[in-house]
Amino acid sequence: MTSFKPVDDGHADLSSHDAFLSGAPHNTFARLRREDPMSWSEMQGGKGFWSITRHADIMDLNKNFELLSSARGIRMEDQTYEEYLARRTFQETDPPEHSRTRVLVAKAFSKPVVAQFDQQIRTICDSILDDVLARGSFDATKDIARQLPMRMLGQILGTPDEDLDWLVEKGDQLIANTDPEFTSLVLDKVDTDAYRLMPFRSPAGAELYEYAKKLMRDKQAKGDTTGVLHLILQPDAHGNVISETEFRNFFCLLVAAGNDTTRYSIAASLYALCQRPQLMEQLKAGDNNVWETSPDEFIRWASPTMHFRRTATRDFELHGKEVKAGDKVIMWFISANRDDEVFQNPFELDLLRTPNRHVAFGQGGPHVCLGMWLARLEVRILLQELVKRVKSIEQAGEHEFLRSNFIGGIKRLPVTIKAH
Amino acid sequence: MPKVTWILADGREISAQVAVGHNLMEAAVANNVPNVIGECGGCLSCATCHVYVEPDWAAKTGKPGEMENDMLEITTAERKESSRLSCQIVATEELDGIVLRVPQI
Repeated sequence: MTSFKPVDDGHADLSSHDAFLSGAPHNTFARLRREDPMSWSEMQGGKGFWSITRHADIMDLNKNFELLSSARGIRMEDQTYEEYLARRTFQETDPPEHSRTRVLVAKAFSKPVVAQFDQQIRTICDSILDDVLARGSFDATKDIARQLPMRMLGQILGTPDEDLDWLVEKGDQLIANTDPEFTSLVLDKVDTDAYRLMPFRSPAGAELYEYAKKLMRDKQAKGDTTGVLHLILQPDAHGNVISETEFRNFFCLLVAAGNDTTRYSIAASLYALCQRPQLMEQLKAGDNNVWETSPDEFIRWASPTMHFRRTATRDFELHGKEVKAGDKVIMWFISANRDDEVFQNPFELDLLRTPNRHVAFGQGGPHVCLGMWLARLEVRILLQELVKRVKSIEQAGEHEFLRSNFIGGIKRLPVTIKAH
Repeated sequence: MPKVTWILADGREISAQVAVGHNLMEAAVANNVPNVIGECGGCLSCATCHVYVEPDWAAKTGKPGEMENDMLEITTAERKESSRLSCQIVATEELDGIVLRVPQI
């Protein structure tokens, strides 16, 4: 099981979460990019979908929201209109509506504002490293990768530290809703119909919402009007305020999306350092502005958000295939990030790769990741602090991947580290 | 085709002929102009194609639109009177010779 050399037979069923249990089926993506760049997949228990796998096609189509809309769902699963309305956030809208909501919170996640977290992130990293260095052997996903984004989330939401474990557990139940390790309500295995109007079709969404309501009440009682949760409740340029449902969903989105993607980017980075010790040496040397370019390269290589879905608003043709209005179209960012038309030697990490036009954050379209600057900063600082204090990191057992064709991540990574 | 010149923060200049109708973020990316990134593909979601329009050209490029104006609040480099998101400036014959300064980010 390795992410440097994919193991699938080149004909994986992309609708199947099990097909991602040994890592993303990159041999399949490579074949599709080469032979069938607009390919159709059947899906059990739902409508089939088109897969876009080439970087150039994603760059072309991701921005074309008039043709490929987000406003009918962004996950592979089918949604009724009622479900869509109950579960949507601004992720599930198109410009200009999307832009009007996004701008309310954009500043809080902008590069200069996020840069102010530098010292806080270093302090958190220090405490994480104190803990793991004292033990030597541990699960790097649980004890490093999960910790940093979780504790940063606490800083951003203004939640007490003792609530964080619970919050992240609930977030995992949402986003890892296809992995039995994280939820008893596995999306494709258990009847989740009773929860179809909740975020991610999970009752954890309702629990998170109750939590958010209480958090806001407590903050109000204290006269505290800071933080991103207050920003999203401000009227937009047209005087519109998001609904209670949308606020609930936004909170769930922050808890879920803000956590696992950075976690799995860090986990993949640590796995890469285990497998390629020369990368660790290169980071330690710090030459050629490696800290400027390396976070994006680690994130390209990790590509934790493997796809998002769009829906065709009218008939169109691509690579000889006739797409009909209403068809689901999946943009496989993970495939685009291994496209050798764009990235030389795409399966290896080139920490100085410039330019690095990866699409791990959904680049090239209106929904480009709101938290990308924070993610880059967390990855960079974690690795900076790690190489300062850690001499070597080695894998100490089999790693395991999340059961999901949506979020790609190493959920268990046993390692041994030695201090300088 | 109109000629566009980008002056980088270190004084280096990059010039290119840009087809009419293309926006100047796409043109910068196609010509590997550093620090014009265009993460959102020109959809007004990221502000990473921020440039300063040289004063002589300001009248021809016009003022930022409403959403662009909001997004200019989140640029990495300081916002100035001449700030624009280059994805919102479309190449026209009238802009032949335009000069844009690229901020250090």
